[in-house]
Amino acid sequence: MQFRHERLPNGLDVIAEITDGALSTSVGFFVKTGARDETDALWGASHFLEHMVFKGTHDLSGDEINRRFDWMGAAANAFTSEEDTVYHAAVLPEQQHEAVSLLTRMMRPALRDEDFQTEKLVILEEIRMYDDQPPFGADDRCRAAFFAGHPLARSVLGTVDSITALPVDAMRDYHRRRYAPDNIVLAATGAVDFAALVETARRHCGDWEPQAAAPRTVPATAHPDGGRPIVESITRPGAALEYAVRMSAGPDGSDDDRYPAKLLAVILGDESGSRLYWSLVDSGEAEHASLHHHDYLDAGFFATQLSCDATDVESLLARIVACYADAARQGITAAELGQARNKLAGRVVLAGERPRRRLFGVGLEWAHTGRYRSVADDLAIVESISLDHVHHVLDRWPLDGPAATVLAGPHTGTSA
Amino acid sequence: MKQSLFSVTLDNGIVLLGEDLPGLESVAIAFHTPAGAVHDGPGRCGLATLSGEMMLRGAGDRSSREIVESLEGAGIQWSQAVSTSHASFAGAMVARQLPEALPIYADILRRPRLEADQLESARQMVLQNLAGTEDDPAHRAMSALRQLHYPAPWGMPSEGISTQVEELDLTAIRGFVAAHVRPAGTIIAIAGRIDWPDFVRRITALVGDWQAGPAPTVQAGPRGPRFRHVSHDAQQTHIALAWSAPPYRSDDSYEATAALAILGGGSSARLFTEVRERRGLCYSVSAGYQTLRDHAAAVCYSGTSAARAQETLDVMVAEIGRLPGTIQSEELDRVKARAKSGLVMQQESSAARAGAIARQWYHLGAVRTLADELARYDRLTVSTIEAWLAAHPVRDLSVVSLGREPLEVPDAVSA
Repeated sequence: MQFRHERLPNGLDVIAEITDGALSTSVGFFVKTGARDETDALWGASHFLEHMVFKGTHDLSGDEINRRFDWMGAAANAFTSEEDTVYHAAVLPEQQHEAVSLLTRMMRPALRDEDFQTEKLVILEEIRMYDDQPPFGADDRCRAAFFAGHPLARSVLGTVDSITALPVDAMRDYHRRRYAPDNIVLAATGAVDFAALVETARRHCGDWEPQAAAPRTVPATAHPDGGRPIVESITRPGAALEYAVRMSAGPDGSDDDRYPAKLLAVILGDESGSRLYWSLVDSGEAEHASLHHHDYLDAGFFATQLSCDATDVESLLARIVACYADAARQGITAAELGQARNKLAGRVVLAGERPRRRLFGVGLEWAHTGRYRSVADDLAIVESISLDHVHHVLDRWPLDGPAATVLAGPHTGTSA
Repeated sequence: MKQSLFSVTLDNGIVLLGEDLPGLESVAIAFHTPAGAVHDGPGRCGLATLSGEMMLRGAGDRSSREIVESLEGAGIQWSQAVSTSHASFAGAMVARQLPEALPIYADILRRPRLEADQLESARQMVLQNLAGTEDDPAHRAMSALRQLHYPAPWGMPSEGISTQVEELDLTAIRGFVAAHVRPAGTIIAIAGRIDWPDFVRRITALVGDWQAGPAPTVQAGPRGPRFRHVSHDAQQTHIALAWSAPPYRSDDSYEATAALAILGGGSSARLFTEVRERRGLCYSVSAGYQTLRDHAAAVCYSGTSAARAQETLDVMVAEIGRLPGTIQSEELDRVKARAKSGLVMQQESSAARAGAIARQWYHLGAVRTLADELARYDRLTVSTIEAWLAAHPVRDLSVVSLGREPLEVPDAVSA
């Protein structure tokens, strides 16, 4: 395993984790832009733009892009989050040049008006699709409540109103500002010819103009303090189950507490074998009960997700909070710590074997921190987490403290 | 590409399959027992699923909790699933953990406790999962489609029917496990960093003396009606279509797979291009090939706003009808390229390969080499696919719509 990095004169970072004997090559553009970089008038523009990137350039139609990816046998796709927009393709090594060239050209899309109008219809269908699915918007509503006043409050997809109102010119301007070379990382993993990667990047991206993007983090005073508990609800009379999302404060992406926070979430709320699992899921009282830690550049949170019979949702939420309070009071055991460490280590090793999984770890880490972490580094971090540090996290980030909670479902028998 | 494939059949009928994947540190193992939902029996839909859940809740010397803690404490990513044909127990792990894992899985298969004190929790868990699937409209549409397309019991929902799960008792579960969790028909597949002789020795010591009675049979029932509307109060209407295709073991299954990939298998496929890219009618639309051992299906799916659902269905049906006589060699080239890179990249995942070799043995009674699979794709030509399409016109289209209003279903698919 070898790591390489080169920065082009215009600021574009080219990085690669090269694995000898790998059977495939994964490449991706990691654009440092997402929902948090939008204004109310641009709500949903990052994700909409991600779709438009596949609709073609001035000399390449959208159909031609789709045909080329299929012709090279690529598993190609893209996703948008609060902080990142990522375009990726996994190919056989002999297709590296084709894949990188195509992705590179796509980063300068035509953003044609007629494509924009057709794709708007697709985005609106995507919004409706998620709105019809569990947790029926409870996740977005909880994020909005928890992060009120902070850029991370905005949902990635936008709303039917914001997308309908979005003009194509605003998207063109957003693209010019955010898709600048000094705001983008080109990453590759697996069987990578690094010299060829840099050469392709130079040829296709060398003339992109840097923009010196504005800082993305906000002053600490605008951070959510979770000082006021919030409970909201969304009514879906036809739903079979009630869905609850609960968010409380957690460490951000630069805080040393973030690794023990993730380990703590495994102990308390992993999908199997955790305290919530044995208390609520194994007994068949809940369909799902989990705890996860999410971190961003300047904020973080713990998210509890619960689905169960509507008549039980309040009592089960109370039991979950009691479980958190008990952990804070009694601590966790060395056996729980050991089991969670082994679980995480197993996940790191298995994910590390596939270049298409590694691409996201390597690319996002560089986009967020400008650093590289190998699989061995990740394993060392997991191994180094101490019981004391996990107890410190329980103390500093009270899981049973103030939180935003949103319920969605039939509400039968609840006071929501 | 050089491949190291192994297989051996034990005296009691258990098939052991292995693939060495150099370069990986992990190993994945899957135990597929022939205790699938096809054996549920009338009025007992969900029995296989509930039995599979009960098998995990205590086996040999370990309690339910000790099983999970032993697996997870060793860093094993475990899973359990019941399909139409099999109850499967699987795990992926760092290779050195395998000797620790094998006895746990052997106990789950051979010595499940099936105790009364776990029954209500297990039942509630199955019922919770069923309620969860009620809230997943795409899942509901596809489940309804299987019931229309396949003859009973192959089309029945393996996750169960809640009113029937409510009635199942411990006697039924114990009887089901005794009759169907059996060595003959069980496939144990392993892939990754493996030591084949060591594995065969260890697993033979654990399951080599396992014996069971005669093989059960399945009585085929009737198929459902051709069309069904499922009333569902939501913004989108979901459309699911199926028609007959040859099962995987048929010589022409690759022609069917390729024709369906051209119709709806990639982002340059016809459905994606015509329904989504050209008209903006929906977010998701696709077509593909699904196979059981003796039955298979061509399947199409889309979900879109109620007001645009009829047009979406009409365009989908028109594209199905337009397929014969219009296949282009560039389209076939793209299907071959996607198949090739998919097969090669499968070699990077021990779990994917353990799944693939087991699936092939179940369908073919043999494991195909990658070279053989690639050659089968290479041999496809526009004329072999056109000949297959001409010989297999779409005559028995099953259609499910799930949403507020029923759709108008075409009488037939024609060019």
